[in-house]
Amino acid sequence: MELNWSTFLLEIFNFLVLVWILKRFLYQPVLDIIARRRAAIETQLAEARQQHAEADALKQQYEHRLADWEHERQQALDRLMQEIEETRNQQMQKLKAELSQQEEKTRVARSRQDKQLIRAIEQRALQQSAEFASRLLAEAAGPELENRLFDLLLNGLSALPADQIEALGNKWGESPETIVVSSAYPLDDDKRHQLEATLSRVTGLSAPVHYEQDAKLLAGLNITIGSWLLQLNVRDELRGFMELADIES
Amino acid sequence: MGEDSLFIRPIFEWGPVNLTTTVITTWVVMAIIGGFAWLATRRLQMSPARFQTLVEAVVSIIEESIRDIAPLHVQQILPFIGTLWVFIVIANLTGLIPGMHSPTRDLSATAAIAFLVFLSVHWYGIRLQGLKNYLVHYLKPSPILLPFNLISEVTRTIALAVRLFGNMMSLEMVALLVLMVAGFLAPVPILMLHIVEALVQAYIFGMLALIYVASGLQSQQLRQQKQGENHA
Repeated sequence: MELNWSTFLLEIFNFLVLVWILKRFLYQPVLDIIARRRAAIETQLAEARQQHAEADALKQQYEHRLADWEHERQQALDRLMQEIEETRNQQMQKLKAELSQQEEKTRVARSRQDKQLIRAIEQRALQQSAEFASRLLAEAAGPELENRLFDLLLNGLSALPADQIEALGNKWGESPETIVVSSAYPLDDDKRHQLEATLSRVTGLSAPVHYEQDAKLLAGLNITIGSWLLQLNVRDELRGFMELADIES
Repeated sequence: MGEDSLFIRPIFEWGPVNLTTTVITTWVVMAIIGGFAWLATRRLQMSPARFQTLVEAVVSIIEESIRDIAPLHVQQILPFIGTLWVFIVIANLTGLIPGMHSPTRDLSATAAIAFLVFLSVHWYGIRLQGLKNYLVHYLKPSPILLPFNLISEVTRTIALAVRLFGNMMSLEMVALLVLMVAGFLAPVPILMLHIVEALVQAYIFGMLALIYVASGLQSQQLRQQKQGENHA
């Protein structure tokens, strides 16, 4: 156990050389590669964090987009519901209008039917009245009624004003050869003279009068002057009454 | 067991320079460690293989051990402390090889390493803190402790050298004695103990050296911690 100074100094030198060797060939390269690996890991971690942040951002963006889509969907649904409601209201109004028109048509048709029915009833009543009156007058017709009608004819012709008498001058066209007088019952001579005198005065004609008997007239006279016909008898009055009923219906 | 087993004799003398087996063995150890380091770091890759993983694990363990004691000066003191651990482990284990003895069995070698530790404490302290700040730490916590601090600087260095030398020499002596008394293969358990003791002594030597260096840097660390607290 002694201290060899040569060994002591050489060992110092040897150890310092070994420190340099290990620092140069072991510590520095290993620490560098560890540092580079740590840096690479840090870089990867940073990239991972960045990707994570980007993923979070994308997630939030997608969530916002989903929320927007949901909002838009809800708005579209609301608009659709509103359009459906508006369409329903329009259809309801249209249906109501159609129903109203249909009701109006029905009412008009019913009114028309009622009027036609009333008119048919009135026509039928008129026909029945006419038939009743015709039967009644046919049963009641007789010489007395014809005399009354004859008197009424004479009074009417006699009461014609001058302008009407003058207007009658052209009704029969050319001067007729004969004047035909038909009656339900035979006229006596006195009545014939009164009638001829009245006709001569009113028409201004001097044509001979030919007398005929027509029982179908029931009562009264028919006077034919050319194309002009003067009727005052029960049959034609009833016929006129019937035609008047038809015209009114 | 002859006198050669107890004393280190020079095998080559050239003037004042004596080449002993300790120096030769140290060169062999240096060559092995240097070659290993060169081979290990020749093709480093970002995705390490098993061998590279082992090397990186060793360096990382050394780095973490230093960081636990002196977290602010890892880069500066790692080469010296790490080399202490690596060299002493290999040097201690060299004694297991038949015909060779550990360089650390030589007091000259352990004293040289301890002397380097002694110098490194002051070197790192003055280099990182400045001469004035470094010398002031001998007066703390009280100037009365200055003589004790100075004495401890010497005694702990001697203790480092003698502890490592005594343990390694005693181990080899025990192994030789057991071999001579019990015969071949009998000292195998002692050799197993040699391995454990070699690792433990290397760890103790390196950790003590680290603590000594860190204690020289302690005042700067405290000052930086205070500055950090003030900034915070």
